[in-house]
Amino acid sequence: MEILEHFYVKVIVPIEVFGIDISITNLTVALISAAVLFLAFFVLLALRPKIIPGKGQVAIEMLVNFIKRNIVYNMIGKKEGDRWFPLIGGIFIFVLSCSLIGIIPGLYTPTANPIVNITLAAVVFLTVQISCIVKTGIRGFIRSFAPKAVPSWMYVIVVPIEIISAIAKPFSLFVRLTANMLAGLTIIYVILGLILYFESYLIAVVAYPFAIVMTLFKIFVAVIQAYIFAVLSALYIGEAVKPKH
Amino acid sequence: MDPKAAALMAAGLCMGIGAIGPAIAIGSLVGKALEGIARQPEASNQIQTAMFIGIAFAEAIALYALVVAFLLIFVA
Repeated sequence: MEILEHFYVKVIVPIEVFGIDISITNLTVALISAAVLFLAFFVLLALRPKIIPGKGQVAIEMLVNFIKRNIVYNMIGKKEGDRWFPLIGGIFIFVLSCSLIGIIPGLYTPTANPIVNITLAAVVFLTVQISCIVKTGIRGFIRSFAPKAVPSWMYVIVVPIEIISAIAKPFSLFVRLTANMLAGLTIIYVILGLILYFESYLIAVVAYPFAIVMTLFKIFVAVIQAYIFAVLSALYIGEAVKPKH
Repeated sequence: MDPKAAALMAAGLCMGIGAIGPAIAIGSLVGKALEGIARQPEASNQIQTAMFIGIAFAEAIALYALVVAFLLIFVA
C-alpha cells in the first residue's frame, strides 16, 4: 500500500562508519533543507539590526516576542522563563520548519516520521524529569508523585495515576504531532490517487481544487500543531520547575 | 467471519465511534470560549490561548482512535 511507504526511508547515498549506518536518506535531505532554508531566511531578515527597524527586523522581533511572551512567560513565569526560552524557541521553530517543508513537492516531511517525533518527545521527557531532580533533589522528586493535598489513604490510587501520567504526557505529544502530520499527507495521497484509480480526467476537475484546499488546511494545521507542541512542553517544564506541592 | 474482514469493519467502527466524544467536547469548549470573549473582550487573548490548549487535548483522543484504526487495518 502506498500510504505505508512513507514509513520506509529511501537511501540515497550509503555511508557506513565503524558498522553504524549513517547513510544519507530522503529524511536527511528534507531535514537539512528545512534547517538551511529557514535559518537562511531568518538570518537574512535580521542581518543588520538598526535602532529604527526595517520590515524584516519587525517580523523577526514579532516572532521572538510571540514565543517569549505568549509561550514561555505565560507558562513558566518571568524569572525561570529566561533559562528555558532557547529550548522552547528551538522546539517551536524546528517543528514548524519540518512540518512546512513537506509542502514542497517531492520532499519528505520529517515530522510525519515517528522516529523524529519520538526523539523530540524523549527530549521533553528527559528535560522534565532531570530538571525536577536538579531543582528539588531526589526526595523532592519522589515527593512530587504524592501531592500533599490528598488524604493519605488515597495514595494507593493517586501514585500510579501520577506515574502513568508522567509517561503519558510526552507520549501524547508524540502521537498528536505524528498523527496530525500523517493525516494531512494521507488525505492528499488519497484524493490525488483517486484520479489515478479511475483513470479519467473528469475526476480531476473535482479532485484537484479539493486537494488545493486540503493543502491550505495542512499548512494551518502544521502551524497550530507546532504552537501546541511548544506550549505543552513549556507547560510540563513549568510544572516541574515550580513545585507547588 | 474472515479475520481480515472483521479487522476492517472494526477499524471503521473504531474511528466512527471514537470521533463522537472529541467532537462534542471541542464544540462545547469553543462555545464556552465564545461566551467568555463576548462577556469581556479585553480577556480575549488569554481565553483564546486556553481554548487552543483545550482543543489540542481533546483532539489527541480522536487521534488515538485513528492510530488504533490504522493498526487494525495494516497490522491485523
